[in-house]
Amino acid sequence: MNRTRSKSKAFVVTMALPVLYLAAVEPEAPAYLTLAMEAHAVVGAPLTPASAAGVARRTTRRVAVASTSTTAATSATAQQQAATAQQQSATAQQQSATAQQQTAAAQQQTAASARPPGAPAAGVVVTALPAGCKPETRSGVEYQHCGGVYYRAAFQGENLVYVVQ
Amino acid sequence: MNSILHGHRLAALGCFALAGGMILSTTAQAETGSIAPEAKQILKASTDFLGSQQQFSADTRNTLEVVLKNGQKIEFNSTGRQSIQRPNKLRAERTGDLVAQVFVYDGKSLTLYDTTAESYAQVPVPATLEGMLDYARTNLDLITPAADLIYKNAYNILMDGVTDGIVVGEAIIEGVRCNHLAFRSPQVDWQIWIQQGAQPLPRKIVITTLDLPNAPQFSVTMTKWNLTPTFDAQTFTFTPLAGVKKIDILTR
Repeated sequence: MNRTRSKSKAFVVTMALPVLYLAAVEPEAPAYLTLAMEAHAVVGAPLTPASAAGVARRTTRRVAVASTSTTAATSATAQQQAATAQQQSATAQQQSATAQQQTAAAQQQTAASARPPGAPAAGVVVTALPAGCKPETRSGVEYQHCGGVYYRAAFQGENLVYVVQ
Repeated sequence: MNSILHGHRLAALGCFALAGGMILSTTAQAETGSIAPEAKQILKASTDFLGSQQQFSADTRNTLEVVLKNGQKIEFNSTGRQSIQRPNKLRAERTGDLVAQVFVYDGKSLTLYDTTAESYAQVPVPATLEGMLDYARTNLDLITPAADLIYKNAYNILMDGVTDGIVVGEAIIEGVRCNHLAFRSPQVDWQIWIQQGAQPLPRKIVITTLDLPNAPQFSVTMTKWNLTPTFDAQTFTFTPLAGVKKIDILTR
């Protein structure tokens, strides 16, 4: 539990912050922050100050990251986080439940036969890997092999994420 | 005479601090729906000046507020150094709360190097600073707020949608005497502090997002402006160290 929290916190601190000149700001609750802050889900950070440049220039940012619930399906760590969040917030509970249902549905639709049960769908972007991953290099590309599922690292904006293969 | 004026100003500032909210709101009401010509003029002098600089570097100190669901604000800090050479070179380094990232733009491609993750990504981008920044914002999800200031047409970008503008007064930022301006647009209030004198450089910018609970702010303070920097071949070139992994950056 403590380990979970400190790990996710470190992740936030490591990944969440915008680059200065290229300072990024999220108009909606960024998934990495939600993940990290657990029950205190983030309402939001400032919109792009480019909005100083006018609302027209605001881009709708990809709220990519379906990570929390997806990861929960495969990771005890994430499950603990979800459980904590649920205890502390009824709202979060509902959201979490909904998200889990959606995730489960998506997984059923797309789960390849080779995938272990409960594995996230290919193309899903997560902000943190489940526990127990091992790096494997194939064709010069490094993947993280986690319980039968392969993830490939990528930047989304300036944040490091993992794309399910 | 000067000292009297100065004392007067300090006294005024004291009042301002004590009753700041009241004074500001009064001023803002009085100015609703108008942009003071002097505010526009000071801003334009600054953006024109920076737009005419062929190369420059500056250090930045950033704060970013994030609002939690319970209303609590959390502030993140980072510092950085920017090197820019018009029309199409940029290097931005940032270190913050455990973050270390470098952006390198060589006129053809943009590299994002995360030293913590020991990973980098490289993508082809447009051949001008402005084009690159637009591309980074719309295709790479790299929002570049303070970078608005380095566009050649920064004035138009900044003033787009602005409904109100005032000169708040004089202020000192990091020991530099500045004019303090405040502008409003529909969902964003922003303030900028511009150095007085022959080099009207931006010294600080604060952006307040009005349509989020508790109106979180983003601020950048700029120091160590150098308008005659010495760049070498490595400044705008990225050469990965051994063991650093190349990964993708998601585009759209």
